[in-house]
Amino acid sequence: MKKSLLIAWKDFTIRIKDRKGFITMLLTPLLLTAILGFALNSVMGGEGGFPETKVGIYISDDDKLAENFVVDVLPTFSFVTIKESKSEEELKDLLTEGKVDVGVSFPEEWSSGSNQGALKNVTILEKPDQRTKTTLIESMLKSYSEQVQIHAVTTRTVMQDISASVAASTDEINIQQVASEIQLELQSITGGELKQVSIGEKNVGSMQYYAAAMAVMFVMFNMTLGAKSLLQERTTETLKRLSMTPTGKESILFGKFLGTLWFACIQFMVFFGATSTFFKVDWGSNLYQVITVGFCYSFAVSGLSMTIAAFVKEEKTTDVISSIGIQILAILGGSMLPIYLFPEGLKTIASLTPNKWALTSFLDIMSGTTWSELFPAISILLSLGCITLALGTWKLKTN
Amino acid sequence: MLQVENVLKSYDKNKVVRGVSFHVQKGESFGLLGPNGAGKSTTIGMISGIITPDQGEIKVDGLSIKKNALDIKRKIGVVPQEIALYPTLSAKENLVFWGKMYGLSRNEAVKRATEVLEYVGLGERAKEKIETFSGGMKRRVNIGASLMHKPELLVMDEPTVGIDPQSRNHILETVKELNKNGMTIIYTSHYMEEVEFLCNRIGIIDKGKMIALGTKKDLFQRVAEGTIIKISVSQLDESFLNIVKEIDEVGKVIPHPEDLTIEIFVTNHQKVVGEIITLAVQAKVDVQSLEVNEPNLESLFLSLTGRSLRD
Repeated sequence: MKKSLLIAWKDFTIRIKDRKGFITMLLTPLLLTAILGFALNSVMGGEGGFPETKVGIYISDDDKLAENFVVDVLPTFSFVTIKESKSEEELKDLLTEGKVDVGVSFPEEWSSGSNQGALKNVTILEKPDQRTKTTLIESMLKSYSEQVQIHAVTTRTVMQDISASVAASTDEINIQQVASEIQLELQSITGGELKQVSIGEKNVGSMQYYAAAMAVMFVMFNMTLGAKSLLQERTTETLKRLSMTPTGKESILFGKFLGTLWFACIQFMVFFGATSTFFKVDWGSNLYQVITVGFCYSFAVSGLSMTIAAFVKEEKTTDVISSIGIQILAILGGSMLPIYLFPEGLKTIASLTPNKWALTSFLDIMSGTTWSELFPAISILLSLGCITLALGTWKLKTN
Repeated sequence: MLQVENVLKSYDKNKVVRGVSFHVQKGESFGLLGPNGAGKSTTIGMISGIITPDQGEIKVDGLSIKKNALDIKRKIGVVPQEIALYPTLSAKENLVFWGKMYGLSRNEAVKRATEVLEYVGLGERAKEKIETFSGGMKRRVNIGASLMHKPELLVMDEPTVGIDPQSRNHILETVKELNKNGMTIIYTSHYMEEVEFLCNRIGIIDKGKMIALGTKKDLFQRVAEGTIIKISVSQLDESFLNIVKEIDEVGKVIPHPEDLTIEIFVTNHQKVVGEIITLAVQAKVDVQSLEVNEPNLESLFLSLTGRSLRD
């Protein structure tokens, strides 16, 4: 262990001495956070988190569930302002004139097929420059529609079973009353009108979002830097020389892993301190959660660096991974654009990237979350780190 | 101090070391000579414990490398052929790091690094980064790194490759002094002058096999036809070569068509030189120059393999 720490410290010293690289790894993310944070402040609704959104509504008839969405659901979001219109044409005009940001037009008998689990399509009118707001309203409507269908289908199924029972046929129970009670029960189980699982109590501002996003992206560069450091040791024969000292292979490789982990953790903590101090970024009220997620993510990244070093032969390849691979991972993981703007398919793919888990965890911490909600992300990051460290070490040992 | 017994090493079907055996006594300076690709570095790698022999046994101070690799690594210092140092760290930082890797405490390593840097003549440049050093200076630090833990056995794998004559001389003098102070040395090179200068006993390795082993005197005696007469001619005449081969004092005759020279191994050059000139005149071969070389390791290698050490 002592030898591993010596190697880790040596690697850290080398990277600190590389002033150009060190500045790039620290100043660039700070600069990008400042630029993106300020530039997208208005789009992301400033420090309030979600942008002020004016929603134009047109309901073709007196569909109760559509009215429920407009009257009971939308007003619960403080950033949403509703403007009802009398026709779809008027709604389009409002949108063109900029009096609303998004238009939602409910067709006639929108919810008539809800018992069969089918709702008619709602027309969403959008302005190209209001894509974020449109996506938000679409998400709300989608969530509401799903709840409506679950309620309707579940109630219908239960009622069919009860109707067929002996008690119902002998009028021992009041079917109408049971149906109402089931509806109320379902509503309480599903948490009311809309699911609000990951939003937390506080909203996340643009500066907060990009502080977390840039931290995650730049810590990820340690994946290739760590691998490159090992490959450089192989090229310059210092790895061979290390093997000539009375040090086991495992200690040498673990030392390389620790060096990457150490630098990634320091980089994250310096970035965390700098954004908190200079940009007044609120990373949430639980410092331990921030440190834990930061460590677990750095652990995963360092493990991946060992696997890359094991399977890549040349330093140039790590440069390619660094310049292209990490950018792709950064985009997929939400470091460039917020994940909630992604289509469903991409969201699924994003879940395969470690940076997505880290970023969403940091955003959750910022908005206020519990340890139990963070547990899946922490477990995934630690498992990924352990698996890739073991795989990389095994492969490097047998090389 | 060191026993190498019948070691073999193959990579796929390529047999790199084929049954090499030799012993090195404590305080001895042993030279391992051979052309590039002869198997020297692989042999050194096996002694250093970084390459596992397919067969055979290596023992240092009675300890088997197979069972006591870490203990053996504490006893030996290895100077690799490449400059295995961290270029962005200073000379002193490099030495302190390598010292600590051999188990020295921080204070011991710092103290020893200062001593070693003075020893290799770089005390004044201790704080400068390796990347700013010349090739020769890097080589000296490269040697210094393996002296940090005061090894009993110093294994040097071609430590003077690609450096200026001044640095080379400095390194050779340093190695000589280390040996004089009691350190056992194994020195590999394809420069026979270096091995001749430094080593009491020499092993010559070629194509993975030890083709000659002994003291310098023993080896030179083994070359009965130790002197080489090298003549430069206008054309290589087959009949002239055949006539020369028939002279009693002549051993091997090696023609070199690429530079129109002939190397003739002889036992009594004073007697033979005149005869060769006469035969050349008779065969109408124009002799443009003639030189007589005393027996050395180069001629030994040439006589054993028919090739030059630097081929």
